[in-house]
Amino acid sequence: MATTSHRISLKLNGEGHTLEVESNDLLLDVLREKLGTKSPKIGCERGDCGACTVLLDGKTVRSCLILAVEADGREVTTVEGLGKDGPTALQKSFLKHNSFQCGYCAPGIVLAGHELLAKNPAPNEEEVKEALAGNLCRCTGYEPIVRAVLDVRKGKGRRKGK
Amino acid sequence: MNETAVKRRAVAQPKRLSELKSVGRSVERIDGLEKVMGAARYVDDLDFGPNLLHAEIVESPYAHARIKSIDTREAAKVPGVVKVVTGKDFPYQFGLYMKDRYIFAQDKVRFVGEQVAAVIARDPKAAMRAAKKVKVVYEELPPVLDTAMALKGRPELIHPGLGDYQHVPWFFPKARTNIAHWRKTRKGDVAEGFSKADVVFEDTYTVPRYAHCAIETHVIVGLHDLSGRLTLWSASQSPFTQRHLFAEALAPLGLSHKDVRVVTPYVGGGFGGKAGVSMEILGAALATAVRGNPVKVRWSREQEFYNTYQRQGLTARIKLGVKKDGTFTAMEHVLHWDAGAYVEYGANVVNAVGLSATGPYRIPHVSIDSLCVYTNLPPGGPYRGFGYSEFHFGLESHVDRIAKKLGMDPVELRRKNAIREGDTLAYGAHMNPNGLQEAIDKVSVEIGWGREEHSPDPSKVIGKGFSLMWKAPAMPPNAASAAFLKFNEDGSLNIMVSGMEIGQGYLTVMAQIASEVLAVPVEKIRVETPDTDRNAYEWQTVGSHVTWACGNAVKKAALEAREKIFDLVQRVTCLEKDTLYLEDEAVKCKTDPGFVRPFKDFVISGIMAPDGTWKGGPIMGSGMYMPEFTSATGDPETSQGGHPNVHYTVGAAAAAVEIDKETGKMRILKSVLAVDAGKAINPELVNGQIVGGMVQGLATVLYEDMRFDEKGRLLNPNFTDYKIPTAMDVPDEMVPIIIETPQPDGPFGARGVGEHTMIPMASMVANAVEDALGLRIKSMPITAEKVALALKDKH
Amino acid sequence: MAIAHEFAYHKPKTLEEAVKLLGGFKGSARVLAGGTDLIGWIRDGLIAPDALIDLKGIEGLDRIENKNGVVRVGALATFNALRESPVIRTRLPLLWEAAGMVASCGLRNRATMVGNICSAVPCCDSGPVLLAYEAQVALRGKGGGRKVPVGEWFVANKKTAIREGEIVTGVEIPVPARHGACYVKLGRYRGEDLAQVSVAVVALPGQEYRVAFGAVAAKPLRARKVENSLRSKGWADSVKRLVPEEISPITDIRSTKEYRVHMAQIMLARGVRAAVSRLAGKGPAYGTKVI
Repeated sequence: MATTSHRISLKLNGEGHTLEVESNDLLLDVLREKLGTKSPKIGCERGDCGACTVLLDGKTVRSCLILAVEADGREVTTVEGLGKDGPTALQKSFLKHNSFQCGYCAPGIVLAGHELLAKNPAPNEEEVKEALAGNLCRCTGYEPIVRAVLDVRKGKGRRKGK
Repeated sequence: MNETAVKRRAVAQPKRLSELKSVGRSVERIDGLEKVMGAARYVDDLDFGPNLLHAEIVESPYAHARIKSIDTREAAKVPGVVKVVTGKDFPYQFGLYMKDRYIFAQDKVRFVGEQVAAVIARDPKAAMRAAKKVKVVYEELPPVLDTAMALKGRPELIHPGLGDYQHVPWFFPKARTNIAHWRKTRKGDVAEGFSKADVVFEDTYTVPRYAHCAIETHVIVGLHDLSGRLTLWSASQSPFTQRHLFAEALAPLGLSHKDVRVVTPYVGGGFGGKAGVSMEILGAALATAVRGNPVKVRWSREQEFYNTYQRQGLTARIKLGVKKDGTFTAMEHVLHWDAGAYVEYGANVVNAVGLSATGPYRIPHVSIDSLCVYTNLPPGGPYRGFGYSEFHFGLESHVDRIAKKLGMDPVELRRKNAIREGDTLAYGAHMNPNGLQEAIDKVSVEIGWGREEHSPDPSKVIGKGFSLMWKAPAMPPNAASAAFLKFNEDGSLNIMVSGMEIGQGYLTVMAQIASEVLAVPVEKIRVETPDTDRNAYEWQTVGSHVTWACGNAVKKAALEAREKIFDLVQRVTCLEKDTLYLEDEAVKCKTDPGFVRPFKDFVISGIMAPDGTWKGGPIMGSGMYMPEFTSATGDPETSQGGHPNVHYTVGAAAAAVEIDKETGKMRILKSVLAVDAGKAINPELVNGQIVGGMVQGLATVLYEDMRFDEKGRLLNPNFTDYKIPTAMDVPDEMVPIIIETPQPDGPFGARGVGEHTMIPMASMVANAVEDALGLRIKSMPITAEKVALALKDKH
Repeated sequence: MAIAHEFAYHKPKTLEEAVKLLGGFKGSARVLAGGTDLIGWIRDGLIAPDALIDLKGIEGLDRIENKNGVVRVGALATFNALRESPVIRTRLPLLWEAAGMVASCGLRNRATMVGNICSAVPCCDSGPVLLAYEAQVALRGKGGGRKVPVGEWFVANKKTAIREGEIVTGVEIPVPARHGACYVKLGRYRGEDLAQVSVAVVALPGQEYRVAFGAVAAKPLRARKVENSLRSKGWADSVKRLVPEEISPITDIRSTKEYRVHMAQIMLARGVRAAVSRLAGKGPAYGTKVI
């Protein structure tokens, strides 16, 4: 059996793209190699690590477990799109709290935190940890990441930004 | 739900009067914005155009076998395939400390997953399909899967040619055995020491293998261009060492060091796994097979687990003699390391521990035997902690147990025997200034040592555990660092060094050091990741030594630039050099408060003299650093006589652990760690190392481990079954404590802390488990399952 | 690592079209919903389908509806959709609790409950829950629809009662009028893990219980002896002793047989205690872990 070719259209970070993909192309590979969007990273390629996280119609998904053809007609957002007009409050908070070290997990974690705050603007600590638990970070011990998310939740007041 | 703030609390340090402006401050990391914006580029993110080729590696399914034949014909016919290569194409050996490795397996394979051949194709899919068509015929040999098998009477020899391998002079391989290196350290007379002891206690501890699990896997792109130049883009902690080893290994192809260039952008985590050369040799070799085309080798997560370095397994027998009053009299420590199929790097882990396996204690009579043993498991190598985490598990468990036998408080016993400045080390050199007593005190107070705690849940109990640690960087005696820096027109600075930013914040720390000397704010300093053509030399980013060594080089480079500035100003203005100083991006004069010469006015184009001519030019500085007091000339039978280590970083840790007696599940209520950083150039980054290291160390004791089957196949080469911590698996409270006992030869007194933060975690938890349950577990990891089943057996 | 295996991709717009397409492949095509298992299996070479038939073009399959005391969960309903559904939260709290313990948020946005029972690995979280709720699997094939009780659905490791050419369209769950329940899952740590043992307990008024286990046999199973004992005398430590008779766990990379048996007993005890307490309107709140 052979692959089938598909002409797909998707919105990536607000811009429309139409391109040819093969049926066995992964969304992650197409974003990186065909669309030049490099923030989703290759980490485990089986959904365990979250480095390849992107927002698909606003929800975090593992782009290593999605065929590119499945994204036809959908909207994909990566960190490149999120911070288009400058860093978001969450990104600034990550910066302030020294949340990342090697930074490889950062794009996925930024998106996971973004999704959480969009759904639940005032999460408690357990909810933050649970929301981020699918994104592995080997460097930080997570504490500065969790602290940064809690620092921008609603009702907490924006503590003295830099 | 009870709302709590995230609990990581740094213990307040006494305020010091200090004139330091940049050093000692928690400035924001200079690579932070790139990382949170998704702008940071890692090797796999770089674009190489449509000529980029992809390699897929054909691997050994056997732990030990002879290669009878390799047939590549079918693979070569797959559409898209450019080339298929095998060991015959690259009959070269390489290695960092011992040349026992091959680019591709030659006549034999020695571990499951070893590279046997490679397919290079225009796209990854074709390469994968073709790799399946390479036919290799093997004749299986009996595999040697543990150190006991490797050392028994007449074992199967994994490297029959061991006696002929080239190695550094401080390794002592035993030809016609599986012992690749045997480090012996002898001090005093242990028989006499044990005879003076009131209690002599002996036991054995075991530690399995572990994986680094950087989230970025190893990846390298090689381009051997048509002029003969070989460029590698490598996810590496060691660009210069890689260049050196590539140039050495490929010298038969006519390559020299000047023809080889290694470029290392950001690295997605190292932890020792990306030190030295492992799979990267494939990228270098394969590039030479397809000249003119870049070729990429990227490890899958599975390959990352079984064909890079692994943390070596250890079986350690400890015998400790102690007097009634708690004074240690003698120690015998025999360590058998499961070092795997190739030990070119791992043997130095064995060596380092062979020198330091006393731990941070003063012991008059010492005998250490640290044996590097070949097995048919994947190659062992450096891993954050460099062998110290492994031996501290046994040692610090043992110290607690001997305290119990003496009826003495384990912290008191540690305090009594803790090493002090000037003490004679096991190999004869002397201990550096350190704050070990201060660390013990502060950690005891913070954890509430001696205060019993009870869980509100009747099925749970709470125990506390304590552990000390120490570690020295393990380096050749002539490991060197260098730095260049140059001013830009606006008075900003570029620093060109070749340590790697692997997340620890090295770039920021180098900027802070230069900032301190040159009075340029950190925000105006760019520190780039290495390119061996352009940046100054650095041996490797390992051993937690770059803040100290490269920091010294950067400081020297900054001082040289400052000197050039003073010379120039003196020459043009006739102000005395020793009245000049730098402040707020300008040269100022102590005797002439009105004199202010901003850098931007002269650091590129010089200063105009009264006669209208221009003096000076672009200001640059260079610095080099090598610890000129070290040597590796110790006696092979005793290790006496050399000065193999530069200094030790020490610390202490403690935890309160809540354990469910039915399920065995453990919750770390609080984890405290104090480390003596000498001087924390950036306290927030030091805290980051402490918190991150604690969590990584806790994982090794609570659930991680690598499991192999009876054929030597790794059973859990993925995060589904090799569990690394998630955000939900961190202690309820973590308290980093920074001690600052200056290191006399460190930049502003600094010494390294990165690896150390993992080291005491395993023994700390083992001790807490015993405290809570009266149960001593002598093998890692201490899983919930192990605890629950041991408790069941006990009752 | 790209996917080297070649397959065709189809995205039918109606169920009829999907069934027709699937039939045409005579067993060599696989149905794609969330893909979180399927894509990984293809890449690892565990399966090698000639084609994937993506259900996501079919309207309405993602619905979660409550009709006449039966909740129907469509084939495309994800675990996070279950978490966010008021019907599930209020009517089927066991499923709501279990859904929150499946994988991680990013996977739950994609993974479906129906996909979970179609993959049918012994540790699937939905298995014991649907057994305890006595649900039915709704299928559609060339010859029309049929329903299979979940008790007959799981046949062996990764094997179900599905027939060639059939598509699971949803699961129907009869809502027990008033009940307390508890899903207990054993992982190696607090983060995402596959169950080493799982227990689903439903406590009904009148000392009625339904108990099901996962990851302790080749398929999820209903523990009838345990249920009978509970019915006759309520909770007693002797119930624990029945557990080894009900289950047949193995030793694997995730756990030993011994620990699985040990934990199945403890988890049953704590699960029953929590379910009974919840039936009485007391805590612990759903979602609170009892181990």
